[in-house]
Amino acid sequence: MSEATVPKLELGRVGESLPRVDGIPKVTGEFAYSSDLQAAGMLWGHTVRSPHAHARVGTIDISAAVGMPGVHAVLTHEDIPGEKRYGLEFQDQPVLAYERVRYFGEPVALVAAEHPEQARRAAERIRVEYEPLEPLVDPERATEAEPLHPDRPTMGHGYRDDPRPNIVRSLVIRQGDPAAEGDVAVSGVYEIGIQDQAFLGPESGLAVPDGEGGVDVYVATQWLHVDRDQVAPCLNLKPEQVRIHLAGVGGAFGGREDLSMQIHGALLALHTNRPVKIVYNREESFVGHIHRHPAKIWAEHRASRDGRLVNVRVRILLDGGAYASSSTAVTSNAASFAVGPYAVDNALIESTCVYTNNPPCGAMRGFGAVQVCFAHEAQMDKLAEALDIDPIELRLLNALGPGGSLPTGQTITGTLPVADVIRRAAALDVPEAEELPRDPMRLPGGSGNTTRGEGVRRGVGFAVGFKNIGYSEGFDDYTAARVQLHADGSATVHCAAAEVGQGVANVILQVARTELGVRDVALAPHTTATVDSAGSASASRMTWMVSGAVRDACRAALEEWDKKGRSLEVDVERIYRHPRTTPLDPETGQVTGERAHVAYACAAMRVVAEVDVELGLTRVVWIGTAQDVGHAVNPQAVQGQIEGGTAQGLGLALMEEIQTRDGLITNASFTDYLIPTTLDMPPVVSELIEEAEPDAPYGVKGVGEPPTVVSTPAVVAALRAATGRELSRVPVRPDDIVGL
Amino acid sequence: MELLRPSSPEEATGALGNGSRALAGGTELVPLIRDGLVKADTLVEIRDVVPRGVTGTRIGAGTTLAELELDGEIPQALREACAQAASPQLRSMGTIGGNLLQATRCWYWRLGFDCWLHGGETCFARDGAQREHAVFGNDKCASAHPSDIAAALLALGATLRTTRREFAVAELYRLPTDDDRNVTTLAPDELILEIELTTPDASTYLKAMDRRKWSFPIVGVAAARFGGETRIALAGVAPIPWLLDSVAILDEATPLPGTGYKVEIARALVRRAIEAI
Repeated sequence: MSEATVPKLELGRVGESLPRVDGIPKVTGEFAYSSDLQAAGMLWGHTVRSPHAHARVGTIDISAAVGMPGVHAVLTHEDIPGEKRYGLEFQDQPVLAYERVRYFGEPVALVAAEHPEQARRAAERIRVEYEPLEPLVDPERATEAEPLHPDRPTMGHGYRDDPRPNIVRSLVIRQGDPAAEGDVAVSGVYEIGIQDQAFLGPESGLAVPDGEGGVDVYVATQWLHVDRDQVAPCLNLKPEQVRIHLAGVGGAFGGREDLSMQIHGALLALHTNRPVKIVYNREESFVGHIHRHPAKIWAEHRASRDGRLVNVRVRILLDGGAYASSSTAVTSNAASFAVGPYAVDNALIESTCVYTNNPPCGAMRGFGAVQVCFAHEAQMDKLAEALDIDPIELRLLNALGPGGSLPTGQTITGTLPVADVIRRAAALDVPEAEELPRDPMRLPGGSGNTTRGEGVRRGVGFAVGFKNIGYSEGFDDYTAARVQLHADGSATVHCAAAEVGQGVANVILQVARTELGVRDVALAPHTTATVDSAGSASASRMTWMVSGAVRDACRAALEEWDKKGRSLEVDVERIYRHPRTTPLDPETGQVTGERAHVAYACAAMRVVAEVDVELGLTRVVWIGTAQDVGHAVNPQAVQGQIEGGTAQGLGLALMEEIQTRDGLITNASFTDYLIPTTLDMPPVVSELIEEAEPDAPYGVKGVGEPPTVVSTPAVVAALRAATGRELSRVPVRPDDIVGL
Repeated sequence: MELLRPSSPEEATGALGNGSRALAGGTELVPLIRDGLVKADTLVEIRDVVPRGVTGTRIGAGTTLAELELDGEIPQALREACAQAASPQLRSMGTIGGNLLQATRCWYWRLGFDCWLHGGETCFARDGAQREHAVFGNDKCASAHPSDIAAALLALGATLRTTRREFAVAELYRLPTDDDRNVTTLAPDELILEIELTTPDASTYLKAMDRRKWSFPIVGVAAARFGGETRIALAGVAPIPWLLDSVAILDEATPLPGTGYKVEIARALVRRAIEAI
């Protein structure tokens, strides 16, 4: 960016493109990530993990490990002083396995030693008696198998009571006449592989005993207070005896919403009375966090001759893996957005998530909307072809908007400019095909030098998608912020919102500067120790929620300051809540109040791709997108989120998939699990559609997820256009294309 | 673990065998030790005893891939194969000698499954995920050899000089058998010292990958023309680098259900490689 295009930075208020406060330290290598933490007298923790995806656990013999050089503690489930199970929403996951292991890599025992190598060697000496059981790895057979969780931990929470074994949640949304006929019907079966968040900073943290029975945990996480609320009961401590402090986060994308080393580190620290650091290696990271749910989706769309959707029927099967994590909400999201941002009077949507012995799945950027968008956009293209209507026209004809309603019966009360994003993305100038000969780096195959133009065909694809902003279905979601005004005119903001690389630190500062009218605002460390919860850095909620909380706290602080004669120090904390949501009816899937979701954001994307149809190799040439972003707090950061989110969706479209055999992850490395490089990612032209969201502070919306939702189907649509193949499974790889 | 630093090839070979391993760039050996796939009590550092650099048509086995990709004197196929291998960091450390001895990327082998190549009875790729696996020489073990450089040297008809013998690079490799699961003929105490090239009239290396850079070959094709004769070799299609005696050999491939596409890719790439030279 040239200097002339950088807005002059007067104050760094809401709406200004402001450089990220953590940007320069990160690119210069000065930023301390959680794996860089050190403390005097620190020990290293190591986790012993199950080599089986499913086994009965017998005796665990630690005797050979205990006396090893440098070893200070060896712990098993017997050493857990409190609750033996934890979970983000349901306590179904053992802190350390007892009786049974249900997935490959499940933690079984812990070691603390003076050197990480000593800890690793001691771990090798622990003898665990396993009786391998047949792993349940086919989600389509889960409901016929023996239950993995006979106590059915997710039932009885207001969801539909589904008696079949291994159901995490099943949801049926019925609207109108599910038998309604149209003039034309198209159907398809779509599959989405398991995507990993693939953050670069592996799970890591440092637990420090406080000498009074409590513990401080410094960790890269997404939701500090809910970490605390899961850690404390397992340690048999009061919540205030456990303080979670955010350490430098090397990417999250949902993968840090569940716990990793938090309880383990704290257990070892309290047991040894020494600080204990745990850093996962890359393989452990792949097995040590939840992934995006793999899905199979059966869809049938019926439309009238003039192109209006008449009836959409969708069946979604999500593989939740061994533990519930946030799968119940993913199930509901997938159902809510299964039709896409289109109006239809009749719909029947069944969404089911099952337990298996596959890797556990949970939150990942796009959260249920990614999987269904791949299916509904493929269906819309099929329908356009069957009706001989331009695919963009077909989407415009059916576009949902304010006043329209979803299959759940919820009316769109806020902004949702679906038609606008379609028109703006469609109007972007698609670049002309480049002349031949070209540098191989500008051809499919890249540095492999595989073509000089032979076999290369070009295709243009388009996709639209949407997703909810914020937590849904009656979840009591709030964000706290605390503002201190100092005598010298400066201010300090405390907020436990996790800066995971999305730029929320800037949002906090920009809102505070806007409200207080001062430049000198400091952001206190993100911690549970000084302020109430900010909620999770997920669901594209943080910008909205933090804006509300910081705004309210700043205004209250100024009021207080006025009352106190404008001289004394002021310290106030305020809690912000978004408009209330209510659960879906467990039988009909219809809203039971005004809304089940708080608000929505949409995006449309156009992609140009070239495919060498003889080799199946691709090059995504150009991506143009228009996104509904509400009022952009920091336009530069919004564009960064759009580019990053698009890359993550492109990765799912072209290469990212965790491979398993009998539940074991077989490609747990960045050598074998490929993610896009800068050479795989074209420039992204992004148009921000700024319509103020009426319910949100400053009219903001979240922006991180919609690009990931739409980029996968848009890229695959371009590949379909180039090849004529159906390409109903992602990632699409050369073997899906060759042989045309 | 002990690290020895011998000062001559003789001293190095004297220290090899009996479970010790030669260490050059370490980009292959160190991860294999870390993952428990290679056990070694003693590492013999050979950096100072194996020749490094290019002299005419002779390449020291200790020459890094980064040095080779920049050398305008060596044939195009080898330069391209070096430039397309791995990442710049690995190419700066990894040597050409070590690259020829690369282990397969077969997941089952890497995860320590009790597979046929590890001495067991079963090739797990045959009834599991297998799209990365072999289309030739795969009746016992369907692993794929990942070396781009080996395919280039095969096509170039290079010869190797070791501490014991001189032989064609093709003779470095053997399909593993029930009695001997090794994929090379190199003795445990034998070191590759030099590679001798013949100079083709033209050569090239083309590599189909799952990503536009920094990944192993789905199929790599090296082709070299010597007068009227063209030699072609493939990477990523068999447990060892695969010399194609003729293009028609592609019709004799024995792909698994998931690897048939590799034959199609090989067919197109071979045609393009021949056209290019």
